[in-house]
Amino acid sequence: MMNRTSTSLKTGLITAMTLSIAMAAGSAQALTLYTAGPGSLAKKLAAGYEKQTGVKVDVFQATTGKVMARLDAEQANPRADILISASWDTATDLQKRGWLLEYQSPNAAEVPAQFKTPYYVAQGISALGIVWNTKSGTPEPQDWADLAKPVFKDKVTTPDPALSGASLDLLIGLQNAHAQQAWTLFDDLKANGMIIAGPNAQALTPVLQGAKAAVFGAVDYVAYSSMQDGEAVKVIFPASGTVIAPRPMMILKSSKAQKEAKAFIDYALSDEGQKLVAEAWLMPARSDIDAKRPLFKTLKLLPEETHPSASRKEVLDRFASLFGQR
Amino acid sequence: MNKNLFLPALTGAALLLLVALPVVFVILQAVFPHLDSGRLSAPFSAFSPLFTDTGLREMIFTTLKVGLGVALCSAVLGIPLGALRGLFALPGAALWDLLFLIPFMMPPYIAALSWMLALQTHGYVEQLLALSLNNFLFSLPGIVAVMTLNIFPVVYFAVSRSMAASGSRLADVARIHGAGPWRAFIRVTLPLALPSVASSLLLAFTLSIEEYGVPGALGARSGVTLLTTGIEQRLADWPVDMPGAAVLSLVLVAIALCAYSVQKAVLAGRNVETLTGKPADVVAKKLGRAKWPVLALFALVAFITVGMPLLSMMLTAFSGTLSGGISLENLTLRHYVTLFALDGDAIGALSTSMSLALATALIAGGVGLLASWLVIVRKVRSAAVIDGLSLLPAALPGIVVGVGLILAWNRGFWPVTPYNTWGILLLAYCCLLLPYPVRYVSAAMKQIGGNLEAAARVHGASAAQALWRILLPLVLPSLLAAMMMVFAVASRELVTSLLLAPAGVQTVSVFVWRQFEQGSVGDGMAMASIAVLVSISIMLIAVRVGGGAKRRF
Repeated sequence: MMNRTSTSLKTGLITAMTLSIAMAAGSAQALTLYTAGPGSLAKKLAAGYEKQTGVKVDVFQATTGKVMARLDAEQANPRADILISASWDTATDLQKRGWLLEYQSPNAAEVPAQFKTPYYVAQGISALGIVWNTKSGTPEPQDWADLAKPVFKDKVTTPDPALSGASLDLLIGLQNAHAQQAWTLFDDLKANGMIIAGPNAQALTPVLQGAKAAVFGAVDYVAYSSMQDGEAVKVIFPASGTVIAPRPMMILKSSKAQKEAKAFIDYALSDEGQKLVAEAWLMPARSDIDAKRPLFKTLKLLPEETHPSASRKEVLDRFASLFGQR
Repeated sequence: MNKNLFLPALTGAALLLLVALPVVFVILQAVFPHLDSGRLSAPFSAFSPLFTDTGLREMIFTTLKVGLGVALCSAVLGIPLGALRGLFALPGAALWDLLFLIPFMMPPYIAALSWMLALQTHGYVEQLLALSLNNFLFSLPGIVAVMTLNIFPVVYFAVSRSMAASGSRLADVARIHGAGPWRAFIRVTLPLALPSVASSLLLAFTLSIEEYGVPGALGARSGVTLLTTGIEQRLADWPVDMPGAAVLSLVLVAIALCAYSVQKAVLAGRNVETLTGKPADVVAKKLGRAKWPVLALFALVAFITVGMPLLSMMLTAFSGTLSGGISLENLTLRHYVTLFALDGDAIGALSTSMSLALATALIAGGVGLLASWLVIVRKVRSAAVIDGLSLLPAALPGIVVGVGLILAWNRGFWPVTPYNTWGILLLAYCCLLLPYPVRYVSAAMKQIGGNLEAAARVHGASAAQALWRILLPLVLPSLLAAMMMVFAVASRELVTSLLLAPAGVQTVSVFVWRQFEQGSVGDGMAMASIAVLVSISIMLIAVRVGGGAKRRF
C-alpha cells in the first residue's frame, strides 16, 4: 500500500524503457530498407518479400536527399541494410567511400549491363520529362527551351535537385551535354519565373490544380500514376533529349543481416518483384518484363558526357545560388 | 535506498533524461563542432558563420520579423474581438469561444496545407470568387497571416477573460466621474488588462518562431527560410551540417527563452487588485444597436479562421482529382477507401500515433504530478532546479528537441539506445509536453490548503501515501485535463516525428506530410481530416474536464 504510487510509476517507466530496448534488440532480425519514393512500391516489395521469407522489412521512405542525410548522420550507429536511391550518383559515391557490399544477384542476368555494377543494380528506371497540364490554356511544350518562352511566364515549377535525386541527374545530364548552354537555359527559366518546389510530387501538385502549367524535369512515374487517377496532365519527353534515372539498389557493408538483404535484392529482381515495379509506372530494370509505359529504348536520350562529369556538389551549389536558395 | 529520497530521485532522473540530456548535447555540439569524431578541438568555431554569413543573419532577422508580425497581427485581431467578448453581452458567446478554440486546436501544418490549396493560383478561392491571392500566400506576409489565424485565439482568450474578470465596474466609476466611454476604456479598462495582453502577445511571438509546419509547407515556394526550417535543412538534407544545426538551435532557444522569461516577468508583476471580496454583479453591457455589426464581424472572423481551412481540407479529401476542380462529378470517397485499404498503412499510422500519445500522456502526467508535488507541496531543497527543468521545454522548440535527441542518442557508445525505435519519439513527446501537466497540476496544488496533507501525515500516512490518497484525488480533474491536452498535442506532433521516426514507424503527421511530398494530396487530406477530428474532439473534452476542475475549487 505504502509504495503503490511509486511502484506503479516505477513499473510504468521501466516498462516503457524495457519495451524500447526490446524493440531495439528485436529489430536485429528484421531487415531495414531506406528508400526514395514511391512509398507504395517499397511497401508492396516489403510485403511480398515478407510473405515469401517470413522476414519483416522496416521501411523508411523519404526523398533521396533526406535518405542520404540520414545515412550520413547514422554513420556511427548504422541501421539500414538496404538502400534504394533515386540517383545513380549516390550509389557511385557510397561505393567510393567503401560502404557497399559486393553482390550480384542471379536474377540480374536480364538487367542490361549499363544498369548494374558488382556493387549495385537498378531496381527500375524512371525518365525525366515535362509534365504539362492539358487544361492550362498554354500550347503543348515540345522541348526544354519552350518553357522559357513568354507563354510560360510564371507558370513553371521544378523539383529541388537538392532533394530529388533524379532531378539532379537531369541537371548533370544537361550540363554534360550542353555545358554553358545549359546554364543559359537555367538563367532564362529563372528569368521566366520558374520556381523550385520541394521534391518531385510537390512540384507536380501546383500543376495538377492549375496553379502552374508545367513541371520542368518531372519524374515521369509520379505523373503517370496521377494520370491513372484521372488528372488532366500529359508527360512529354523533350525533342532534344532527356535523361533516364536508374534507381540503384545496394546492400550496406554494415548490415548485420546480409543473407536476408541479398535475398531481398533477389526478390526485387524476380518476376514478381519486377512486376510490382512496372505497376508503379517505372520501367522495370529487367528487359524481359513488360511495362505499361514507353521504355527507355524508345526515348531520345541526351548524349553521353563529352568532358569530365561535373560533380554533384558543384552543380547543386551553382543551381542553388542561381535560384537564390543559398 | 531511503524511502524519502526515492521519489525525488526518480523525478530528478526522469527530468535529466527527458529535458537536460538533449539540451546538453545541443550545447556540446554547438561549442565543439568536431564532437562527432570524438575530438574537442576548435571550440566555438561553428559560431563564426553567425557573424560572417549574411544568409544566416537574414534567416535570424526573418524569424524575428515573423514573430513580431504574428504578435502584432494577433493583437490587431485578438484585442478588439476579446474586448467585445469580455465587456459586452455578446449573443452566442459560448459558441464564439468554441469556434475560436478550433484554429488553435487544428494542427498548424494541416491548416497551412489547406490554405495553400485554397489560395494558390487556380485554388478553390480563385475557382469560386476569381480572387487571386497566390502571390500573397507565398510571401512573408502570407506566412505571417496563416500563423496569425492559428495563434490569435491566445490573445483573444487572454483579453476576453481578463476584461470580463475586472469587469466594467472601475470603468463605470470613471464614467460617473465624467469620462467618456472611450476615455474610460483607454484610461481604465485597457491598463487593467495590459499585463495579460502583453503576456499573451509574447506567447504568440514564441509560438510563431517555434513553428515548423507553416514555414515548412509554405516557405519553399516563397523563398523564405526561417530558423526552424533552416535547422531542419541542415539536419535532414544532404549534405548534413550538425554543428550548424546545433548553433542555429541555440540561437532559436535563446530568442525563445528571452521572450518566455519576459512573459513570466510580466505576469509576475501583475497584481492589479480588482477583487475586493465584496460580492458584485458582473453585468456585461448591452451591445444595443451595435449588435448586428459586431455579430457580423465575429461571423466573418470565424468563417475565415475556421471555415476556410476546414472547407478546403474537406473539399480536397472528397475530390477525385485536383485538376477536376470543384464539381459534383468530381465528388468521391476514393481517398477514404484507399486510406483504409493501403495494406493497413494508414491504420498503422493512426494506431502508432494514438498509442504514442497515450504513453506520452501517462508518462508526462506522472512526471509532471511528481515534479509539481515536490516543488509545491514538499518544497524539497532542489525545488528550483526541478521547477526550472520541468518548465524549460515550454521555451524549447520541437525542432531543437529533435536535434538534441539525435545528437544525444545517435552515438556508438551507448550500450542500448532508443534511437531508431519508437522509444525516441516517446522521449521527444514527453520532453515537449511536460510543461502542460506541471502547469495545470501546480495551479491546482497551490489552491489546496496544507492542512489536508498535514492531517494525513499526523494520522500516520507517509508522504507518498498522502500524495496518493489525499492530493491525487483532489488534483485529478486538472491532471486529467492536462493529460488530455498532452494526448491531443502528441497525436499530431509533426517536426520531431519527421526527424526521429525510425524505419517502419509512421505517425499520422508523417503520413500526411509524406502523402503531400508524393503528390497524393487527396489521401493526405483524408487522413488530415481524421487527425483534425480526433485532435479537436479530445481537446474539447479536456477543456470541459478542466473547466469542471476550476469550478470545484
